[in-house]
Amino acid sequence: MIPKNVLLKRVSPLISQIAEAHRKPRWEPVAKSKIYRIPKRPEISEEERLELLRINNNYKTQMRAIRRFYHEEMMRELSSLKSASSEMSQKLEAEEWEKCVHLNEEWNKEVAAEREQRRKIELAAMEEYTLKRMEEKDKEMREKIEKASAEIRLQKELSATFITPDNLEAAIDAALANPIDYNFAIDLKGNHFYGRDTPIVNQDKKDNAINTNT
Amino acid sequence: MTTQVIKYVGRTTNFKGKTLWEIVGSLKNYGVGRIIVRSVFNRYPEPSFMKIVKVETCPDEERRRVRVWVEKTFRGRKSPQLTEIYRTSYKPDYNLIPKDEEYKFLEAVKSNESEVILPNTIEMPPLMKRFIVKDHEKKGLETIKEYVLPLSYNHSPNRVARIAKGDEKPTVKFTMGLGKPASPSLYEGIPLQ
Repeated sequence: MIPKNVLLKRVSPLISQIAEAHRKPRWEPVAKSKIYRIPKRPEISEEERLELLRINNNYKTQMRAIRRFYHEEMMRELSSLKSASSEMSQKLEAEEWEKCVHLNEEWNKEVAAEREQRRKIELAAMEEYTLKRMEEKDKEMREKIEKASAEIRLQKELSATFITPDNLEAAIDAALANPIDYNFAIDLKGNHFYGRDTPIVNQDKKDNAINTNT
Repeated sequence: MTTQVIKYVGRTTNFKGKTLWEIVGSLKNYGVGRIIVRSVFNRYPEPSFMKIVKVETCPDEERRRVRVWVEKTFRGRKSPQLTEIYRTSYKPDYNLIPKDEEYKFLEAVKSNESEVILPNTIEMPPLMKRFIVKDHEKKGLETIKEYVLPLSYNHSPNRVARIAKGDEKPTVKFTMGLGKPASPSLYEGIPLQ
């Protein structure tokens, strides 16, 4: 036989009901031999009944009073505990807040000092930068003006050679008198050979010629 | 339906009488105006009875039951509202009062004026008295001067005795001890207190 405790402690119930020994299962109807059995009612004398009633009523009243007393006490303690804890927590919170505010102010002061210093440096740097830029700009402008004036001077000098209606005839004459041939060839050494019909002198010969010339 | 010779079968019962339909169904006009009593309420010294005001029969499926509205008087106190009897109407515990005896019940109600006032406090048990002093010392609470417990009662519309309000003087007193025995013959030869 498997012990009852082992069966009861199982995780999944394999046997749904464990009956006591020598007892019928719950789902069985009344035994045939017990169908017409009429249990005898307890006979209590009137005196005893009254006394038991009185005693039991007394007991219930007493117990109710005691239970109520302790229940009320418990509720009181609970509520006082709750209120006390809430007061404590509020006080703690206020203290924490004070501390936080102080710390924040300190930090703010530190940061402000740092900022002042940084701002000073930044301002100085900015001024320097601006001055430098202004100087650069001035320099640039001056250079531009110089360049322009030089150009003007050059053009003024060149203007002497310009062809004007006065000397147009003379220029035409001069051009006709000195025709320029732009056709030329260049060899590898960069020598220009003007004209279409210029005979090419051999390099060696030319070199020799040059050597002899010098 | 109604048999004169009663033969009891099976378990015994405290009920004594007929079902309400057995009484009401055989009366003229369904017994409106007549007085019935529940025999289990005879245990009380004060009269408890019901005067039928209105009757409604029930369908065949509920042949043991009947719906009856009554003026209820319980333990000499008449309830202000009508009471409906339906769920308990099948109980074979109702008795019809003959017309010439009705005056006894009606008179008894008028004469019932005495009032019992229940206390709202009770003295602490002796061990608790000593315990509570130590307990309060330990918890740092102020010590109790009066060793009394507040009493609480179950609320019921059928309550006969009144509960004392405030400083009213109660007519009965509850104690933590054995109290005065209801039947002293049981305690013969035993020293009480």
